Amino acid sequence: MNLRDRHLWIVVITGALLGTLGVLLAVWGNPENSGICVSCFIENSAGALGFHDNPRMQYLRPELIGFVLGAVLSAVAGREFRSRGGSAPLPRLVSGIFLIVGCAVFIGCPIKLFLRLTAGDLTAAAGVIGLVAGVWAGLRGLANGVELGVHKQDQGGSGLLVPIFFALLLLFLLFRPGFVLSSGKGSAAQYAPWAIALSAGLLLGALAQRSRFCVTGSIRDALLMGLRSYMLWGFMAFCGAAVMWNIGSGRFHFGLFGQPGAHLEHLWSFLGMGLVGWISVMIGGCPFRQLIKSGEGDADAGLVVLGMFIGGALVQAWGITATAAGVPIYGKVAVLVGFIFILTTSLLCRERTA
Amino acid sequence: MLTALALLPLLLSGCDDKGKRPVMRIGYMNCNNEQETTKRFTPLTRYLSEKLDVEFVMVPVDTHDFEKRFREGEFAFTHTNSLLYIILRENYRLELIASDKRGNFGSRTGGAIIARKGNGINKLSDIKGKRMVFGPMLAPTGYLAEYDLMLRSGIDPEKDLAYYAIPSGSYKHEKLVYGVLFGQYDVGAAPLLDLEVMTREGKITPDDFIILAQTPIIPYCTFGAAEKTDPKLVARFRKALLELKPSDTVEIDGERVKVLNAAWADGYEQLLDSDYNPIRDMARRVNMPPYQNY
Amino acid sequence: MFKDRFDRLLLILLAVAMSALAVLLGAHAPNGDNSRAPAGLNKALEQETAYQARVALLQKLYTPVETIQKSGDLQGALFRLDDLARTYPGEAHSYILKGEILHQLGAKEEAVASYVQGIKLSGDYIDRKSPLSRRAEIQRLTDEGVKEIGSRAKANPGNASLAIAMKNVNYLQSRLAGGCE
Repeated sequence: MNLRDRHLWIVVITGALLGTLGVLLAVWGNPENSGICVSCFIENSAGALGFHDNPRMQYLRPELIGFVLGAVLSAVAGREFRSRGGSAPLPRLVSGIFLIVGCAVFIGCPIKLFLRLTAGDLTAAAGVIGLVAGVWAGLRGLANGVELGVHKQDQGGSGLLVPIFFALLLLFLLFRPGFVLSSGKGSAAQYAPWAIALSAGLLLGALAQRSRFCVTGSIRDALLMGLRSYMLWGFMAFCGAAVMWNIGSGRFHFGLFGQPGAHLEHLWSFLGMGLVGWISVMIGGCPFRQLIKSGEGDADAGLVVLGMFIGGALVQAWGITATAAGVPIYGKVAVLVGFIFILTTSLLCRERTA
Repeated sequence: MLTALALLPLLLSGCDDKGKRPVMRIGYMNCNNEQETTKRFTPLTRYLSEKLDVEFVMVPVDTHDFEKRFREGEFAFTHTNSLLYIILRENYRLELIASDKRGNFGSRTGGAIIARKGNGINKLSDIKGKRMVFGPMLAPTGYLAEYDLMLRSGIDPEKDLAYYAIPSGSYKHEKLVYGVLFGQYDVGAAPLLDLEVMTREGKITPDDFIILAQTPIIPYCTFGAAEKTDPKLVARFRKALLELKPSDTVEIDGERVKVLNAAWADGYEQLLDSDYNPIRDMARRVNMPPYQNY
Repeated sequence: MFKDRFDRLLLILLAVAMSALAVLLGAHAPNGDNSRAPAGLNKALEQETAYQARVALLQKLYTPVETIQKSGDLQGALFRLDDLARTYPGEAHSYILKGEILHQLGAKEEAVASYVQGIKLSGDYIDRKSPLSRRAEIQRLTDEGVKEIGSRAKANPGNASLAIAMKNVNYLQSRLAGGCE
C-alpha cells in the first residue's frame, strides 16, 4: 500500500466524509440511524413521485439527487463521463428491484447497515454477516464464470437519460409542483434542511465518483486483497468516523432492543443483506455505487437505478418492507424469489469452460 | 402366514389406539350449571386430548363441592376461579398452569359496585343504609373484591347496609345486575366482565347505571394441576393452552367447533403465583377461606 | 453530428419543441396569484385535506369517550370504547385510547399490548408532530414497562407470557427510538 498515492487518500476522505455526514444528516433532521440510506431515500422519493401511497413515506430526498448530479459534475470535470451500456438490461432492471427488496427486509441499505452497527445497534450484526456472505457468494459466481456481460461504448447517449431524470427531480425539488407529495408525518417528515442535504449529496456524489467508493466493493476487495485494498481503508475510515460522531452526538446506544428502525428477525436480516451482497457483486456495486455510476453515464447502472425506484414503489405498495414489528410474509417471499432470480441468472449467464 | 404376520402391524396401525392413552380428569368449576360447563369445555378438553395424547375426561363440579372432590383425588387438573385456586394452592399445593384471558383486562378482571342511574346514589358513601346484592360468596369479583373494597372504604356490609342478599340458583351475576336495574336492590357487586359481556350483548347499556367504585384488577379463571402430577405433562398442558389460537378447532359430533370461542376465552396466559397475592390479601382482610379465623 | 439536411431538420424541430415547452411552463408557472393556477393535480393538498378530515372525524367520534375518561369514570369510558370498536373495527384510535385507559386502571401489560396494536395500524400516535400524537404517554408506559415487566421477565426466564409482554415493550421502545417507518 503506497501512502503517497493520492487515490488512497481520496478513498479514505470519501469514507470518512460518508461516515461523518451519515451521522450528521440524522442530527440535522433525517430519521435516526438513517442519515444516509439509499433504499429508504428511494422509497421516500418513489412515494413523492406518487409511485406508492404510503402517506408516511413520501419525500423527494435531496441527498439522492445530489449523489447522482455530484457524480455527473465530477465525471464531466474529470472527463470521465462516458455514455455506455447495453449489457443484460432486463436482468439489471430486475436486480435493482431485488436490491431494494433485500434492503427493505433488513430495513436499510449497506451504508445504513454500518451506520446502525456503528450506533451500537446489534441487530445489524446479522445483516453484516449476511452481506459478507452474499459478497462471497457473488465472488464465487464470478470465479465460476457468471457474468452479465460487458457494456460497450454507446453512441446513442442512453447514459444521459438517468442524469437528465435526476436533473428533472432537482427541478421538482426546487419548484415543488402539485403532484409531488411530501409527508407531513412519519419518517419522511423527518429531514435535514434541503440545501444542506443537497449539498451533502453533491459533495459525496462527487467524491464517490472520484474514489469509486463502494461498501460491497470494499468487502469484495478485502476478501480478494486483504489490507492492500484501498477501499478497505476507505471503509474503515467510514466506520471510524461514524462511530466517533455517533458517540460524540449521543446517538450511540449499544444493545439489541429498542433500536430505531430495527427488528429482531435475524435470519431475515441475514438473508436480506445476503441478497443485496450477492446482487451487488454481480452487477458491479452496491445501491450507492449504482447511483454514482449512473451519474457517470453508465446506462446499465441507470437501469439498476430505475429498477430500484420500481422496487421502492413495490416494497411499500405490496407490504414487503419490514418494520420494527418484524418481516411480513410478503417480504420473506420476496427475498426468496430474489434468491431464485439470482440463482437462475447465475445459471443462465455463466460462461462454462469445456 | 409369515406375510400375514409381517402385514399385521401395518393393518393395525390404522386402528384408533385411544385405548392405549392414559386417562386423566379435569375438574371444571360450574359458573352457572353443569350443562353450560359441559358445552363450554368439551371442545377444550377434546383439544387437549388430541394435543397431549392423553384421554382427558371433563368433570363439571359445583363450586362448594370442588375442594372436597379435589381432596378425594377425583381429578388431577382443575379449572376454577382465582379464589378457589388460592384455596387449593394453600391447602393442597396446587400448581399453577395458566389463566384464562377474557375481556379488556386479559387474564385479569375486577369488580364494581354499581347503582342504577337516577336513584340518588352517586358515590360510595351513599350506599349506607341501602339494600345490596352480592354474587356468590366464593366469587372473587362478585363478592370478595367488593366486600374488601367496602371495608377499606370504611363501610361494613354487616352493619352499614339495610341488608344484603345473594341471588339463588344459576346466573347469579346477571340476576344481580338486573336486580339493581329493576330496583329490587339499590346497589350491587357486579363483576366487570359480566357488565362488559351484558353491554356487548345489548342486555344493558352503560347509561343505565353508575359505577360507584371499582376494585383493583385480579387474576381471572385458572387452570391448575395436583401436586404429584407429572411435571412434563403439566408443562405440555401449559404449552398447549398458551399456543391456542382463535382459529383452532376440534370436531364435536361431526361439527368443527372453535375451541377458544366455545370456552369463552380469548386465550391463555402464564401468570406467576405472586400475581394472586392481591386476592390473598383481600381474603385475609375479609376473613375468607383459606385464611378464615373462626 | 449535424452534417446533413436531416440533422438540421431534427435540430430545428428539437429547438421548436424545447421552446414550446418553455413557453408552456412559463405561461402556467405559479406566480402567487391562484387565479391562474392550473386546475390540475395538487395531490399534496388533497392528501392533507383527507388527513385533516380523518382527524376531525376521530375527534367527533371519540370526544364523548374522552370526556367520560377525564371525568374519572374509566370503566364507563371503556364500555363506550368497546361499542365504538365494534362499529369501527381495526380503527387505531380505539386501541390507543384503550391503552391509555388500561394504563390508568393499572393493567400495564394489556395497555402495552393495546398500544402496540394501535401503533402497528397507524404510526401517527408515536410521531412528535402529529395532531394525534400520544408520544409522551406511550413513552411513560414504555419506561414503566421496561422496569417492571422487564424485571419480572428476567426473574422468570421460562415464562412465555412475560416474554410476549417484553416483546411488546421492546417494540414500543424501538418505535419511540425512531427509524424509517
